[in-house]
This record gives sequence, structure tokens and C-alpha cells, in this order.
Amino acid sequence: MFLEVKNIAKTFHKEEVVKDLNFSLSENKTLSILGKSGCGKTTMLKMISGLVASDHGEIFINGENIKDKAPEKRNIVYLYQEDLLFPHLNIFENIAFGLRLRKVSQQEVEERVNQIISALELDNQGQKMPHQLSGGQRQRVSFGRAIITNPSLLLLDEPFGSLDTGTRQRMQQLFKKLAHEFSITSLFVTHDLKEALLMGDEIALMEKGRLQVYPSKEAFVEDPATGVKNEITFWDSLINQNEIKEMRA
Amino acid sequence: MKLSIRPFILSAIVILVLFPFAYLLLLSFASGWQYPSLLPEYFGWQNWRVIFSTETGILSSFLLSVLISLAVAISATLTGFLISKVVSYHPQKNLLSLLTYFPYILSPVVFAACLSYFFIKAGLFGKAGGVIVAQFIIAFPYAVIFFSSFWGERVKSFESLTTTLGGNSWQKYIKVLFPLAKGLILICFFQTFLISWFEYGLTSIIGVGKVQTMTIKVFLFIKEANFYYGALSCCLLIFPPVLLLYINKKYVFNKLI
Repeated sequence: MFLEVKNIAKTFHKEEVVKDLNFSLSENKTLSILGKSGCGKTTMLKMISGLVASDHGEIFINGENIKDKAPEKRNIVYLYQEDLLFPHLNIFENIAFGLRLRKVSQQEVEERVNQIISALELDNQGQKMPHQLSGGQRQRVSFGRAIITNPSLLLLDEPFGSLDTGTRQRMQQLFKKLAHEFSITSLFVTHDLKEALLMGDEIALMEKGRLQVYPSKEAFVEDPATGVKNEITFWDSLINQNEIKEMRA
Repeated sequence: MKLSIRPFILSAIVILVLFPFAYLLLLSFASGWQYPSLLPEYFGWQNWRVIFSTETGILSSFLLSVLISLAVAISATLTGFLISKVVSYHPQKNLLSLLTYFPYILSPVVFAACLSYFFIKAGLFGKAGGVIVAQFIIAFPYAVIFFSSFWGERVKSFESLTTTLGGNSWQKYIKVLFPLAKGLILICFFQTFLISWFEYGLTSIIGVGKVQTMTIKVFLFIKEANFYYGALSCCLLIFPPVLLLYINKKYVFNKLI
């Protein structure tokens, strides 16, 4: 397995936020993690990225234990719900940021940034400043900035949470396309049931600090704890009510 | 047609505000202006030429003041920026923030008197280095308080993002934090420069008259009843702050709003 998380846990002020987490993920796959606010999703992602130290446990990437590695050396990018574009840099420089940190040559920076700009459908936007873009465009730039560094693992913490429904759908499709095109391995955290089902190759549910990874999407749908059944029942009853009304009419 | 008195009142206020400065400038060009003469005996560049003579020491005081204020402003702004981050993210943030107000509880003269023992022991009494340290003690907490509003969850997120993108601590400051805080850093630099530039109480006690900054020089001329050199020194004292205010307004403030 490409990513292996073994027994990691975290306690804040005597409260166990993440409890003995165990899961694994194959290369170039996306694991969707569904969970409500405060269930420990963000803490889990921050432990994997190294931004928060775990109390115990181990994290392996491609067989290497990275638990004691500094976050800047893990090659794991953590993306927030907010796009967090640097307001003092234009779009080109925002995307190039990770390459500049690695002191990549100017020619290579230009080639790679222009390639990403095209892939993100942001042609001719490179010289604009972040405040001149829409929410969806900004989130795309944020993706580009992360992808360009070829991270081993991409951690997405409710990345589309602040977008409207239409933009959110387009961003989901774009992410699927980019994940395939750039062979991205990722953990996609969301509290949206539909998004969790759409985005993940595998799917998991996080509740009160515990993570349950399902063997298949069918198993996820069948588990009453995920709320999928309730959702189906709700829509079915709504359709049935409408049909009865139509028949009476 | 109804005559409005508003323009007259406004003009009067402007004249009242500008008059002391205009009079100061006028006085700096004059000499031998005794009551009841309506005009001075001499009006010209004679006083201003004195700046370049070593006898009065105005030029050396001016340069010393610039040097001290630059040293205080640069050191207080940089350390204030770094320490305010530590204070803002510290679990005992409220207590530490309260401590930063301590130098302002006492008047500068009393504060300097309390500190003088340590300055004597450290061999800093009556030295420019001592004045820089003394003024830094006042300017530094100001900078810490000033920058406390900058640090927060959003800046923390920027830092974390930079780290996961591969940036080390140095790159985090150079490529993200300093550019994000550029406007605030410039304003803080101007403010701490002004704090140092106009400082009198601490400077007079720690400098014991040996470190003659422009503020000390102005008071010396006034004590000697030498109004013309006093006015000249005042003009030089006002010049750098006015220049800084102009730069601040033109290049910093207008871009922040």
C-alpha cells in the first residue's frame, strides 16, 4: 500500500480527538472521508501532514516511516477550505510558489506553470492578482499551486465548502480530471454525502475520532450510520407523494 | 445673496494651525529681533549657515538623532514583529500582552531614573548606545502591541500551507510573512522612528547631556534664550517627521485603504 496509517491518536486537553486510526490507501487513489464538524477530520489530516504531532502511531508513505519527518520534508500538501492565495503575488507566481521554494530554474518554472494554467482552464489569467478572480477560479489556482510540486499525497480539507452548488459541481469534475491526469493520491474530507460518494475511489466515515473505511461503496450505502439510507428514503417518499398527488389530480 | 461664514472660519483655523510653523521658519532666518521693533535687524541665511559650523553642533546633533532613531526604529520593528508572533500564539497571551504595557505605566523620566542604576552598571550611561537601548525599551513594546493584530488563524493557515508546500522557516518569513505584513511593518517603522525622534525624558537622563539629540539641542537653545537657533533646530526637528508622514501617506496608507 502507498499510504499506511497505523494507530495514530491525538488528545487535546484530556479529550481524545482522534482514536487509534488505522487505514491504508493505494497509489493514485482518492479516499473520501465523510464526517461532521468536530469529528477529528482536520486533526487527522494535520497529523498526516506533520502540522500537528500525533501522540503515538506511525505513518508510512511508500514504505518509509515519515512520522518524525518535518512537515516541509514530507512532500504532503494540505489544502484548506479557503483558497489562501497569497495576496501579494499574481496568479502565475502563486502557482509557481512551491517551485520557487525548491529553487527550480526559471525556464522550467515557466514551462510547468503554463502547463498547469492550461490544465486548470485559466489561460490568460496568469498576470491577474487573486482579488480579480472568482471563488471557483481562486480554488483552481489553489489546486494548481499544490499539484505543481508533485506531492506524494494531497490532503483536501473540505476544499469546495465555500463554493456555490454550480461551481462546486464543476470543481468536482475538474478535480477528478486532474487527479487522473497528474496521478494524484489524496484524502478528500467532506461533510457532504453526495460529494463523498462522487469524489472517492474508496470511502470512509469518521465519527467521534474513529475512522471506518468501507470495503466498497455498496457497503457504505448499506450502513445506516452514513445516512445514505435516510437520504434515499427521504427522496423516495417525496417522489411517491408527488406521484399520488398527480394520480389524484 | 447669502454670505457664508464657513470659508472664513475654515481659513482662520488653517491660519491658526499653520502660524506657529510659519513663525518658526521666519524666526530661524532672523536675528536681533527685539521688542518693540516690527521687523528683525537681520533677515537671511546666516543662521542656517551655522548648521555647517562645528561650533553649535547642530549638524552633528541632527545626524546623531537620525542614527539613533534609525537604530531604534529598525531594531524595535524587527524584534517587535518576531516577538509579537510568540506573544500572540502563546497560551499565556493575555498576561504577556499586559506586561507589554508596563513601560507606559510610569512617566519616561521616572522610568529612566529607575533604570539608571542598570545603565551605570552596564557602562551605557552618557553614551549613544545607552540612549538607543533606553529608547528601544519604550519603542519595542509599542511594536509588539502594534503587530498583535496581524497574527491570527488566517496567517497561521498561510504559514502551515507554506510549510506543506516545502518552505522552511526562513522562506516562510521572507516569501510570505514579511510581504503580507509589508504595510504594517512600514507604518510601525515610521511610528517607532517618531517615538525615538521626539523622545526627551529618557534621553536627557540616560544621555546625561553628553548625547545631544535634536530634541535635547532645542531645549538647550531655549534655556540659553537663543530663540533663533532654537527655531532653526525646531525646523530641523520637524523636517524628518514631515517627510516620513508624506511618504507614509503617499506610498503606504493610500495602498492599505
